[in-house]
Amino acid sequence: MNIVAVTACPTGIAHTYMAAAQLEKIGKELGHKIKVETQGAMGIENELTVTDIKNADVAIFAVDIEVEERQRFNGIKIVEVPVQLALKDPKSIFAKLAD
Amino acid sequence: MRLFASRSQLHFKERRSMSNEGIVENLKKLRQYLLTGVSHAIPFVACGGIMIAFAIAFAPMTSSGPDFSHSPKLKLILDIGSAAFALLLPILAGYISYAIANRPGLVAGFVGGYLASEVKAGFLGALVAGLIAGYSVNLIKKLPVPKYIKPIMPILIIPILSSLVIGVLMLKVLGIPIANLMTFLAEWLKQMGTGNAVLLAMILGAMIAFDMGGPINKAAFFFGAAMIKEGNYAVMGACAAAICTPPLGLGLATLINKPLWSEEEHEAGVASLAMGLIGITEGAIPFAASDPFRVIPCIMCGSMVASVIAMLGGAGDHAPHGGPIVIPVVDHRLAYVVAIIAGTLVTTLLINTLKTLANRKKPSVDIEA
Repeated sequence: MNIVAVTACPTGIAHTYMAAAQLEKIGKELGHKIKVETQGAMGIENELTVTDIKNADVAIFAVDIEVEERQRFNGIKIVEVPVQLALKDPKSIFAKLAD
Repeated sequence: MRLFASRSQLHFKERRSMSNEGIVENLKKLRQYLLTGVSHAIPFVACGGIMIAFAIAFAPMTSSGPDFSHSPKLKLILDIGSAAFALLLPILAGYISYAIANRPGLVAGFVGGYLASEVKAGFLGALVAGLIAGYSVNLIKKLPVPKYIKPIMPILIIPILSSLVIGVLMLKVLGIPIANLMTFLAEWLKQMGTGNAVLLAMILGAMIAFDMGGPINKAAFFFGAAMIKEGNYAVMGACAAAICTPPLGLGLATLINKPLWSEEEHEAGVASLAMGLIGITEGAIPFAASDPFRVIPCIMCGSMVASVIAMLGGAGDHAPHGGPIVIPVVDHRLAYVVAIIAGTLVTTLLINTLKTLANRKKPSVDIEA
């Protein structure tokens, strides 16, 4: 699948980036194409472009806070989970995508 | 149903499928709103807190507090730090409201947060202000308006109406009772006996360590900071000692028993020690994330020990910040140092013991456990 993802935790210095790394790693292992945008204390990094989102089958939000510029994702299926889940059990998130 | 629901509607339906789940969902959303506010406020706390602590630290201490009359440069730093700190409540309320109502929510949130600090309703006041501001903006958005008014809704009508709502509420209805609650808490703390003081210190220490800079940590921290304004430095002292022991204790643990920890954890350990020294509990997060069920109880115990010793030793903290960096502005510094060292050692010994036991049970090291 073609996946876009956003990670964001309240402090934005640790969990945000660890979650992004996990999603990228597991996503690639499972054979998906995945791009992860981080919304940490530095603001939006590795920003998802309009084309990225248009071409994606599904969006994963691994977030504990509101996603910035959420309207970009209108019209695409969104799976929203706590950022912790991306660290503890990232595979379960990808399992949810199939539903 | 599913056939003609668009993709985004599907998502919407999933979110409120059952009423019971709906309540859980709403609570989750509420938490997300509050955390969005806290998330934007954190850099202001760190910046203001460290600048204020630095300025107070190098100014001569008198019986009535630090004396800045002979050190204009320190006064300058104090003023800049205080400016960052003064913005804290508006930012907090503003971004809670932003999370709920998006951009139209900003004005009412900021105004509400500013008024919360004006009427001395503090952190609690700002949280309430942000929530009410956001929800009232969402209500105003739904007002049926003629087409020619639509364009001026977000820049004129919504800001004015919602600011009026939150302003009247904060100034005339909610502000005073919340401010009274804060004063009542301060009075209660002043009259509290030793037994209760120890209990309070234990609770604060546990809260500080539990989520390492998350909302529970910040609730305890803001309580301590608010009490400084009321002239009670003991509460912040207990928090300040507890704030630094999780990163210090875990950092030390990686140094004294290297085989227990992974290569990344050794690197994180050094960073964690540095963060501990300047009073940033978040340094402990990488460890807690990979092994929460062992790490979190250990750092909670360490922080509780630190805050109880600080409280009993009368280690009052005059700056809204924690860790060894604030030592110069602490009363009874020896007790404060002892508290930090004891808390750090407890954390280190507990986590290394638990890790050793876990490794013994399972010969292969399970990193994910």
